[in-house]
Amino acid sequence: MAQLLAPALPGRARMRRSAPAAVSTVALIVMIGVCSSLQPGVLTVEGLTLVLSATVPLVIAAQAQMTLMAVGDIDLGIGNFVGLVTVVSATLLVSSPLKGVLVLAGLVAAYAVLGLLIHLRQVPALIATLGASFVWLGLGLFLLPTPGGTTPGWLASFGAWQPAGLPAPLVPLVVVALLVYLLSARSALGVRMRGLGSNPVALRRAGLRPVASRVAAYATAGVLGVLSGLVLASQTGGGDVSSASSYTLMTVAAVILGGGSFAGGTAVPWGAAVGGVTLGLVSVVLSLLDVRSDMQSAVQGVIVLAVLAGRVVVGKVLR
Amino acid sequence: MHVDNLPAGGAAPPGTDTGPAGPPPVVTARGVTKAYGRTRALAGVDLAVRAGEVLGLVGHNGAGKSTLMRVLAGLEPCDTGTVLVHGRQASAGDFRTVRMAYQETSLCPDLTVAENMWVSSRHCLPRVRWRRAASDAVRRRLDEMFPGHGVSPRDRVEDLSLSRRQMVEIARACLVDRLDLLILDEPTESLGPDAARSLYAYVRRLTEAGTAVLLISHRIREVLSVADRVAVLRDGAVTAERPASGLTEPDVLGLMGAHVAAPPTFGAPTAAGTIARDTVAELLGATGPGLREVTLRVGKGEVVGLAGLAGQGQQEVLERLWRPVRRDTTVGVSRAYVPGDRQRSGVLPLWSVGDNLIVTALRGIARRGLRRPAEERAVVADWVKRLSIRGGAEAGITELSGGNQQKVIVARAFASPAGLVLLDDPFRGVDVHTKTDLYGLIRQEAAKGRSVVWYSSENAEMAHCDRVYVFRAGRVVAELTGEEISEERIIGVSFAEKGEDD
Repeated sequence: MAQLLAPALPGRARMRRSAPAAVSTVALIVMIGVCSSLQPGVLTVEGLTLVLSATVPLVIAAQAQMTLMAVGDIDLGIGNFVGLVTVVSATLLVSSPLKGVLVLAGLVAAYAVLGLLIHLRQVPALIATLGASFVWLGLGLFLLPTPGGTTPGWLASFGAWQPAGLPAPLVPLVVVALLVYLLSARSALGVRMRGLGSNPVALRRAGLRPVASRVAAYATAGVLGVLSGLVLASQTGGGDVSSASSYTLMTVAAVILGGGSFAGGTAVPWGAAVGGVTLGLVSVVLSLLDVRSDMQSAVQGVIVLAVLAGRVVVGKVLR
Repeated sequence: MHVDNLPAGGAAPPGTDTGPAGPPPVVTARGVTKAYGRTRALAGVDLAVRAGEVLGLVGHNGAGKSTLMRVLAGLEPCDTGTVLVHGRQASAGDFRTVRMAYQETSLCPDLTVAENMWVSSRHCLPRVRWRRAASDAVRRRLDEMFPGHGVSPRDRVEDLSLSRRQMVEIARACLVDRLDLLILDEPTESLGPDAARSLYAYVRRLTEAGTAVLLISHRIREVLSVADRVAVLRDGAVTAERPASGLTEPDVLGLMGAHVAAPPTFGAPTAAGTIARDTVAELLGATGPGLREVTLRVGKGEVVGLAGLAGQGQQEVLERLWRPVRRDTTVGVSRAYVPGDRQRSGVLPLWSVGDNLIVTALRGIARRGLRRPAEERAVVADWVKRLSIRGGAEAGITELSGGNQQKVIVARAFASPAGLVLLDDPFRGVDVHTKTDLYGLIRQEAAKGRSVVWYSSENAEMAHCDRVYVFRAGRVVAELTGEEISEERIIGVSFAEKGEDD
């Protein structure tokens, strides 16, 4: 009898786990519906491109945040880091491409070192990444004190890329989510990273080194942060270290909306993508609804709370 | 896949000392000592585990069993002395054939069963398509060990029940290309009797193939029935090593240094369990997930036991009494709950013993919302003394041994003003002394008019109850009172339908 019951049980558990992302998806569809009723042009390829493009860097940054939340850490420096990358791509990457690439690689390495320090010195990630965020901000202001600069040609042409019959932003959204999914959910390295967030003692007993998992997670987050910054620069056409400072908390919200948790252990690449797009769309809906811009943040917060409440309710029902 | 191979028989390399005692030792400890700070966990242990035998290791909590196991499994180096694997001084790699199944499990709850197998047995899995290989291997091993286990390799560990998690943990330990020594730490504490029997059948198959098994358990009768030899650990040293045949439970308890528990002398349950008492809580035909038509009542000052095989609805009853939201449940008094899974839902790990103990009683002691530290300290000191909690009120809760932590959790419930205390199998893995103290506490508090509802997976504990409800498949199948309560009777009733006694 147990054999018969077995397939039925995990189904429910899996449903419970994907419920948050499902709630976010519903919210997403509702918002697209509202948008298109206000502005029928939204449902065309051009409309969707316009609406979605602002969410791409946010979603990629959310994948970085998700990677760190999967090992049980949190990144409070991602916003300024993305800002710093836009600055590097608007200055060094134009004037001396090789130097620019080296600096970007150095930034990824800096993330890995940050992970190493957090692990070896037992510093809470919250504090270490918060401290790092000021370093990113300082470096960005040093390189480019006022917003400006130009992005290299290839980046600009990526920003202007318009494939036929398909909203361009969908491509980076899906490709990055797929890559992060393959890494975190399908690969052995992903098992090690989630295992670290889930039960580091078990990893150690099995002879795996938790420090390696943590450094790998931070390096991954660094790579994703650089990607996010490049995409953002390609859209804005310049560098501004504070252009992405709101990402820090938005990405956390995106991961939570997508079903992640602060406790670590779970990787939700698709959820983070849905959560990020949902969050990004909120501001589009609000501008279409003519909500006063000084009220937008507050209304955005209320909507996020409502979606989170929906997640809790669905979780209770499915228990 | 080579993870599925049973270990090669008599797997000792040539040239090891084949002593006069037959098979060669697989792992030998010589004069092993180990200290943590100022506490001396091991004080010179000499122990040999031979190929093809089951060695039972018994001792109180704090006798050094866990430390010894970690040293034998190569997880921790010893301070002085040597550990030999196959007669050679062991280096880290030699311990790969020594595997251990932990009592609290060493699984990652957020990973699937198959992924957990990769974590611990990745050396024996292919680099590509390891997920498929791990799934097949674990499914086959589980089928072999626990027929009808109901675990799928794709289940996440956090979704499994405690007993299934334990099965996975044991299968995890056995999943290796060559297994010389299997260390089982309290393997049956969360397993039901059926699974325990399957486990020991498998253990016997393993030993026939030449693997050595080290079995650690508080259930002495179980150790005696399974083990070939029994080693007694006391104060960090092996004080006795005997063949298991001919040894009885009191013998072993004596060797362990128990002033052998005179069975319950403290205020034995009132024989006339049916005295008319005020009802403080009752279920009337409660039906729901895991429960069918359960009717029971709890009187004032009564200790009510919930018995039967594990997972037959007892915990659901506790849940109902704890949160009486449905109309079929009425509870007239305030409640306190003692969880069974102390690691997960019991202790507040950053707090001291005193803070952990007083947290539920705080409100009762406080006046106008302000805490009264002097009174709190007095209450804490009283409980620490009553239960002789080692380390005192100021110690950090995680510095305590498991048994002492459990005392704090139980004291926390009884320190609160609650009129009904719910015990969710709180004495799993607790040593005899602590249990005796806590049984005494329960009877004393009941005599003061507190009611207790007590679920236990150990039927012998039910002797301390006034009345026992025996559960099977979500139903109450028997209500025993006073003299009727006995282990044999409970087992008989639990199995009655299957027509077999244990």
